[in-house]
Formats: sequence, C-alpha cells, structure tokens
Amino acid sequence: MAEQLRASRCPRCRRLVVPPASICPDHPVRMVAALLPPLGEVVSFTTLHSPPEGFRAPLHLALVELQGGARLFCHGSATEGVKIGSHVSVEAVDSVFYFSHMGFTDRARLFWRRAGAGGERVAAIGKSVVKGMWNRRPRGED
Amino acid sequence: MWIAGAGMTRFGRRDENLQDLIAEAALAAMHDAGIERPDALVVAAMNPEEFTGEGNYGSLIATRLGLSYVPALRVETATSSGVAAVYAAFAAIAAGFHRSVLVVGGEKMTHLATPRVSEIIGRSIDPHEKSYGTTMPALAGLITRAVMHRRGLSLREISQVAVKNHAHGVRNPFAHFQEAVTLEAVMESRLVADPLRLFHCCPISDGGAAILLTTDRRAVRVAGIGQGADTIAVRYRTDLTSFRATQAAAEAAYRMAGFGAARVEVAEIHDAFAPFELISLEDTGLVPAGKAGRATLDGETAIGGRLPVNTSGGLKARGHPLAATGISQIVELFWQLTGRADGRQVEARVALAQSIGGLATNNWVTLLEARR
Repeated sequence: MAEQLRASRCPRCRRLVVPPASICPDHPVRMVAALLPPLGEVVSFTTLHSPPEGFRAPLHLALVELQGGARLFCHGSATEGVKIGSHVSVEAVDSVFYFSHMGFTDRARLFWRRAGAGGERVAAIGKSVVKGMWNRRPRGED
Repeated sequence: MWIAGAGMTRFGRRDENLQDLIAEAALAAMHDAGIERPDALVVAAMNPEEFTGEGNYGSLIATRLGLSYVPALRVETATSSGVAAVYAAFAAIAAGFHRSVLVVGGEKMTHLATPRVSEIIGRSIDPHEKSYGTTMPALAGLITRAVMHRRGLSLREISQVAVKNHAHGVRNPFAHFQEAVTLEAVMESRLVADPLRLFHCCPISDGGAAILLTTDRRAVRVAGIGQGADTIAVRYRTDLTSFRATQAAAEAAYRMAGFGAARVEVAEIHDAFAPFELISLEDTGLVPAGKAGRATLDGETAIGGRLPVNTSGGLKARGHPLAATGISQIVELFWQLTGRADGRQVEARVALAQSIGGLATNNWVTLLEARR
C-alpha cells in the first residue's frame, strides 16, 4: 500500500490541508503535522489539451478529496473510466501527487493487503462492507 | 455617489499601446462628464509590468492624461482589478477625501503569443496548484464538470450562454467579436479543458474603460458596491459549484443599496467561461438556484427577455482586457440606464454588475440606479 500523505491540521477548526501549510487558511494560527491515508474520491477532473510549458498534452488533472476532507490536486496517466466520486489511491512521487483509479480488483487487493494475515483478513473485509467505507462521506467535515 | 461620465475604447486586437488605450477611455469619460480635472485618479492594470514592461502605472497615466499633479493610485485584484479601482474611488469619496475621482483601467495583451498570455494570467493561481500545470481554463474545466454533475447543467445550456452573448456582441460596436455563432459551432469547437470547449472561453483582448465618480447629483447613482473573498487555493474550498466570493459581494451590495435582486432589470456578468454566467446568476440571486440553465435556453436572459444579461456581449464577445473589464461592465450599464446603448437598448432603471478576480478569489457586485 502507498505511503501515508503528509498533511497539516488546524488546532482551532481541525481543517486538514495537503500539502502541509504553516498557517490555517481560516485562522491565523500555526497548523500541526498530520498523516493521512492515501485514499480518496474524485471531486472533479479535466484533461488539458494545451498545457503550459513544461507539461505534455494531454495533461490529466484531478481534484481528489481524501478521507477526512482534505483535497489535493493530482496528475494521472488517464481519466478513462474515471467519474466524479470514483475511488482513487494517491501516491507522492518526488513531492508530486498522482492518482490511480481503483477498479474492483485493486480495491479487493488493497483490503487484502491492509487486512494483514490470517483471520484478520476476513474480519477486515466484512467490516469494510458493513461500514461502507467506500461510500461517499459527508463533505466539509472532519 | 453618482456617475458623471463614462467612456471606453473598442475592445479587440488594437495597435495602440496600453497608455494610449487608457488615455482614450479616460478622455472620453472626462469629456462625457464635463469635468476636466478630477480631484484624484485611480488606475487599474492587472499586470502591465509583464504585458508591457512598464510600471508605476498611477503616475505614468496621470502624466499621460495631463493630470501630473493629481494624486493617483494603482489598484490590483487580478481580473477584477477594474471594479477594485471603482471601489477605491468610491471609498475615497465616501470618506470625504475627494469630490470627483476618475477611474480608468486597461490591459494590452494581443501583442504576445497565447502561451505567454496564459502564463501571465496564470500567475493569479495558487502557486502549488499552478505547479501541476493548472491554468485558468483547467480550473474552469474542473468547475464545469462539477456543475454539470452536481447541478445537472447540460452542455447545451452552457453553450447557449456563448450563443446569446455573441448575438448581443453583434449589436455592440465596442465588442471584440461582432459576429454570431451557432449552438452547433460552440458545442463542436475544440476541447480546451474537458468538458470546456474553445467557444466557451473569452478571448484575449486589448482595451480600456473609464468612469468618473462624483458627489454631484447626476443621472445614475452607485446604489451599492460589495466585495467578497475566497481562498486562492481551489483545493481549500468545499464547493466547486458556486462562488462564495460572489455571494458575499452580492449580500454586501444589496445591503448597502437597501434593495434586493428582485429590483434588478439588466445585468453584466463575468462570463470569462460560459458556465460562470450561469453560476453567477444564481450566486447573485438574479435567478433562483438551479434555474439559470433553463432561463438561458428560454431566452429570459437575452435582449428582449425578462432580465437581459450581458447586453454588451459579455467577456465572451465584448472581450476581456483584464483590468478594463469590470469598468466596461459599468460603462455598458451606465449607457443602458441613460438610454445610450444604441442598437441594444433595454428598458431598465436598476442594473447589476458582477466581476470575478482570479478563480473567484476576489469578486465584486455593483448596483446602479437611474434617477427617476
């Protein structure tokens, strides 16, 4: 599984931002470091056909909302099959975020890996189905 | 607070330099007002340093206009700089500093190649997001997809905004584009930032626009002006389908005016990208939530409709010389309210202008009212 993402949290309003920022966008207070699971949902996406200098066309961009509400911009290798609400995993390579669309098998594999060994696996899969952890979460809430 | 006079250049590809465009608009407004020497000057230019290599723009324009000893300011809030200058002038008069202030804005862009222009405009984007290759059209593309998905706007409704505004531009001799486009042409134009297409986007234009504000009673009153703000980082926002900055600006302007959206009879809206007109009509309360697409298809916002929007052609057809744009909206509405919008005149006493700065980080709503 991809590494957790470095974020920061406002001690006053608990807002999370990625990448980390020193001051909360809503309050003039110092944010504290946080780590977030690299999993989220596509808020919107686009393909840029005349990207600025230094980028190759077509440039696939997505705005992804992580569990917990932090949003981040990501590059992707394609947007085929991606929809608003699609579940993606996010990976940071040289401090640049990339999203990859997770199909059913990817998700199953992810749960498998997350669940660890033996009996935990079954329990974890069961829990994830019950909790509907891949369902849309309320927006703008921590 | 009254508008004593207004003037603007024809927008489009112009051979004149920025100083000359600004001077043409300013002199027209001063002549229109019958005021040769305003107490102060406020100049709006978004980025003359990079577009033209010139700076110290307040003083530069003051001297160019023969007003070297008149105190001058330069004001900047990205693509809404023009209205920010109107606000600065309004505030200075309201504070009792001056009795008349000339507000002029302009931009000269077409002499540079499009990628360079995009790069300069792109400096108003959050630097982290810009490092991903986001441009204004890219961010607008994300917003367009989100409004289509969450608000059920159709590509046809969005495209009709461009068709309508081009039809209005045909009737405006100051417009960059004075030719009509068909719905098919808009919907089949090339993709810029999926699902946004070329004909959904405003052009790159040169031009200048000016108004003269005064404490003396004239034909048109500035009834209200409001500013609203939002995060520069789009990732910090929880909603892509409306602009908080417009909503806050509208609320402030209506509060100052003492009346609401129901009294507005004509509007100029910041349609840098066609879906922004639909979003903004709802953010200002001019059209009920969820109804802007339908209202546009039904012709409600066309000249002759219930609420004519962008009689000038909007940013789409009149053009968008950045810092001139917000002022040119007020020029158009001043002409509408004084019966001088030849060829596109509508019946109206109350008008609204809405301007977007950057990706809706610093927006303005201005309300004008004609004297009875």
